Amino acid sequence: MDELRRTLSELKHLRRASIEKDMCTHPGVIGGLCIRCGQKVDDQSGVAFGYIHKDLRLGNDEVARIRKRDFKNLLRQKKLYLVLDLDHTLLNSTRLLDITPEEEYLRSQTHALQEPLKGSLFRLDYLHMLTKLRPFVRTFLKEASNLFEMYIYTMGERAYAMEMAKLLDPENVHFNSKVIAQGDCTQRHQKGLDVVLGHESAVLILDDTEPVWVKHKDNLILMERYNFFASSCRQFGFNCKSLSELKSDESEADGALATVLEVLKQIHGMFFDQKLGDNLVDRDVRKVLKTVRMEVLKGCKLVFSRVFPTKFQAEKHQLWKMAEQLGALCTTELDPSVTHVVSTDAGTEKSHWAVREKRFLVHPRWIEAANYLWQKQPEENFPVKQTKSQL
Amino acid sequence: MFFHIVLERNMQLHPRHFGRDLRDKLVAKLMKDVEGTCSGRHGFVVAITGIEHVGKGLIRDGTGFVTFPVKYQCVVFRPFKGEILEAVVTMVNKMGFFAEAGPVQIFVSNHLIPDDMEFQSGDMPNYTTSDGSVKIQKDSEVRLKIIGTRVDATEIFCIGTIKDDFLGVISDPEL
Repeated sequence: MDELRRTLSELKHLRRASIEKDMCTHPGVIGGLCIRCGQKVDDQSGVAFGYIHKDLRLGNDEVARIRKRDFKNLLRQKKLYLVLDLDHTLLNSTRLLDITPEEEYLRSQTHALQEPLKGSLFRLDYLHMLTKLRPFVRTFLKEASNLFEMYIYTMGERAYAMEMAKLLDPENVHFNSKVIAQGDCTQRHQKGLDVVLGHESAVLILDDTEPVWVKHKDNLILMERYNFFASSCRQFGFNCKSLSELKSDESEADGALATVLEVLKQIHGMFFDQKLGDNLVDRDVRKVLKTVRMEVLKGCKLVFSRVFPTKFQAEKHQLWKMAEQLGALCTTELDPSVTHVVSTDAGTEKSHWAVREKRFLVHPRWIEAANYLWQKQPEENFPVKQTKSQL
Repeated sequence: MFFHIVLERNMQLHPRHFGRDLRDKLVAKLMKDVEGTCSGRHGFVVAITGIEHVGKGLIRDGTGFVTFPVKYQCVVFRPFKGEILEAVVTMVNKMGFFAEAGPVQIFVSNHLIPDDMEFQSGDMPNYTTSDGSVKIQKDSEVRLKIIGTRVDATEIFCIGTIKDDFLGVISDPEL
């Protein structure tokens, strides 16, 4: 009787095991094999995570499961996610053959690749490039790593991305299995958080280019471009001498990275604020980002003059929207509550009104500066010139 | 598992090698061509241990190359489904960990890691039990069971599990 019972339970166990195998939902496939049951799977569905392993694909359920689990883990460590762009955000690279005569002196100033922690200018012969790291980048990464789990996300190729990661993170501590390159994007010319194993509500992005993040505008902190080399300046249409040609560089202590680090610390602090009471899992870093942004130009009421093309719908203009995101109120008509007139020509009617009524008259760059520096800038630094009017 | 088997292969030799050292050159070429390769049937060829027999050479029409059928003994390594292996952890991330047992790479996903082990990120990512008594990190030795294999021309890739009894960490990385 006992033997019979034992045999029956063994059979049940075997049957359960084989049913489990047949019922495996194949949450992910690596090297053609299911990660859960080991069977060969030909499925090409799901999202490819080539940056973790060249043959890894994960189904949507599995991605959601990993995101949830990882998020809980990170919250316990009081961290959020930070996605970092490379070019013009953390560094600037140029091809060796694009170096101008005034930049030749740089060739002898490069630091040894074997000692990346000591320098900021590197020559990568096999990629035929010179790379300059942005001032403050090492301190930035060190401090940000205490508050964020970081990813690199570049539109460059994988080989380039891995070399840059080695320069920024020689001990492979920050970006292990987290370097996403052009080939990992699921949509051409678009970066997406679908390949990042983190909840969208907890990701902040630092990038100098806005158009590639169409789907995740609310997570993006736009960085001022770092153009060290002459080729980089030319690429963006600037005719002036580059930082390298002027033998100068961005300030370490109050450059873009130092500024944005303070903002990140502020957002992090607000997100993990104990006094808010509700569950951390329900909070959204995008809302915090929006709130912090709205403080920058709070209390300002703006009117624009000769900034938008005629017949252009003002509310749709990029500057209008930027000002509103920064917390300013924008209108088209003058009234006593207007605080600033934003103009490109000091000779317009609205500009004259501002001077007469002792309101601020500023160049549109004042709004852009506030956007990059996260602080209202002194209005006197953005004067408006009088342009010759056409009579 | 390792096997010591006899395999046969047709070796082509260029006439410039003909001479006193023909047999040695043939054996050298065999070693260069075969050691380190994989096949689905035999697995990974680790080393050639001896030549059993070299057959008569056959001159190919039109080229002058000569084909010799060679029978040789070699040690092969082939993992099997259900086999239990010891491996060294090479990389740990939030998906699971990668380990190597000789020429074979094995991936153990977090589905097949015991539920009481949590992933800890940091400069030395690892999986640890809640009381901290067991830790899997880079260079740890683990005993795992193979549940799936795939072989191609240059490498063998396996899926493994440590969720069964007696599997898991054997020893910690040497300090």
